[in-house]
Amino acid sequence: MSVAFPSLAFFQALQTLMRQEELRFRRLGFVDTTFGVEVLASHGAPWRCLLTFEVFECREVAEVASFDLTEIDFVLTGDLATWVETMQNIKQHGGADAAHSLNTLTHFGERMRVLYDDPDNRDKLFRFQESLQQFFDLAGRLDIDFPATTTTVQLSA
Amino acid sequence: MAYLSTTDFFEDQNFFDRWRRNLKGDLDLSWMHTKTEKLAATPENPRRGLTLRDLDKNGYGFSEMPEFVRDNRSFAPRGAELPDGLPDVQAAVSQKGEVWAYNTEGYYEEAMTRQWNATLDVPWAEMAKAELPDEIARAYAQLLTFLTEVEMIATDVPAEWMGKLNNNFMEVKNFMATQVMDEARHAEVFRKRALTTGCGLMKASPYNEMSLKQIRDADSFAEMSLALHLVGEGVVLTLFRFSEYIAPTDADKKMFRLIMQDEARHVGYGVQHLKWVMRHFPEKREVIHKHLDETENMVFGGGYALEVTEPFIILAGKGLKKENIEQGAKITALFQMKQIEEYFERLDKCGLSERRKRSKLHNALEFTRAALQEAGVLA
Repeated sequence: MSVAFPSLAFFQALQTLMRQEELRFRRLGFVDTTFGVEVLASHGAPWRCLLTFEVFECREVAEVASFDLTEIDFVLTGDLATWVETMQNIKQHGGADAAHSLNTLTHFGERMRVLYDDPDNRDKLFRFQESLQQFFDLAGRLDIDFPATTTTVQLSA
Repeated sequence: MAYLSTTDFFEDQNFFDRWRRNLKGDLDLSWMHTKTEKLAATPENPRRGLTLRDLDKNGYGFSEMPEFVRDNRSFAPRGAELPDGLPDVQAAVSQKGEVWAYNTEGYYEEAMTRQWNATLDVPWAEMAKAELPDEIARAYAQLLTFLTEVEMIATDVPAEWMGKLNNNFMEVKNFMATQVMDEARHAEVFRKRALTTGCGLMKASPYNEMSLKQIRDADSFAEMSLALHLVGEGVVLTLFRFSEYIAPTDADKKMFRLIMQDEARHVGYGVQHLKWVMRHFPEKREVIHKHLDETENMVFGGGYALEVTEPFIILAGKGLKKENIEQGAKITALFQMKQIEEYFERLDKCGLSERRKRSKLHNALEFTRAALQEAGVLA
């Protein structure tokens, strides 16, 4: 069964896959962070969800209307085209290639940006980098429905 | 032998007789009646296991530990009965505020579960398939030489301080132990990667080593932590992320991702230690500024020496042609600006926002920003 990107179902599917891969993620260690994912559309409101990781799993996935940066660790934000390109790249290679790793996409804020209030909380993106990269890389195993065009699609909340 | 036992046990008739009576079944059992707190700790979250935070109870805990540890001068674990006759091991640091950080025990648990193996977890076979252009391989080998140099001192320093801390600071000592292992693994992985490039190791850096010696020879733990965890590892964390950004292969990116996790944890301890100090000892503000004056000089001299800046320019520009160098210089300047900006962001959150005004390193940031604006890279 396919899942649409971006959607709550997409991140719930990643959450399920992470649980199924518990041994692999246990090997990577504790991951304790709450962060947001924001997909910016050229028209319409951004799509936002909040991911909460605890111990070895993604404990909660929730669609949200806005983020309070003082309450969460950071937000990964990028336009729809970049997110779609990243997910397609992950599907193509079975994981992000050199140009599409989370760190490369966000380092200078060229493709995606990291929003944060406290740099110490922002640094959790780096403390748990390999776990989070492998979480997003699980998208390679999903059958994903991408928007027909990445520039004109209205994202529903 | 620097220390001799106050008793020669082989010649002590009382000790000898007591041992012989033990062997005949005549037990003393006085140790069974110690007046320590009785506790049966349980995990708050069974999925996480039994953590050091779960043991933070009453006299066994770290929350109720006094600022000055005057009673335990020995190797006795915190909470044990302290009979007469325990040796004074003369810990160099017996003040909690000198070493403590918010979430010390959490950083330790995180470190224990996030250990990795430089031999097995890095895709060496994949790296071996990638043939790097000669100038890229040499620039990369120089960067790896520099990083190996850095990580070796980062291994030595916490190892040296561990034994100098009062044994009541068990959580800090354990965290230091994980850092020693982390840094040793970094030195290992950088050396291994350098020796797989085909270039071997390149040139050591005198400026870098002057900086590293300053960290090693710090007069106090607090001074060392400020220089190592907060300043040194803070700028190195940005450096590792930049290295991932410009890494020549997917496998190298994986290597830097694993490394940056450890480094970010060490920086976390440093930030939380400085927050602790600023909250509990605001009178130390001026001393901290004086340490930072010298530490920033170290960072500028060591971190921006040509043995590290030039390889970055070549790696970021992807070659040695004029256009590569121009591009690489711009990208490297952006990285160095980001590196300094992130350092000041951390100090802001620790309550030292005035640092920007009195820092020569901040002047370097403004110089870099102006150069990038002149080149049209920044608005």
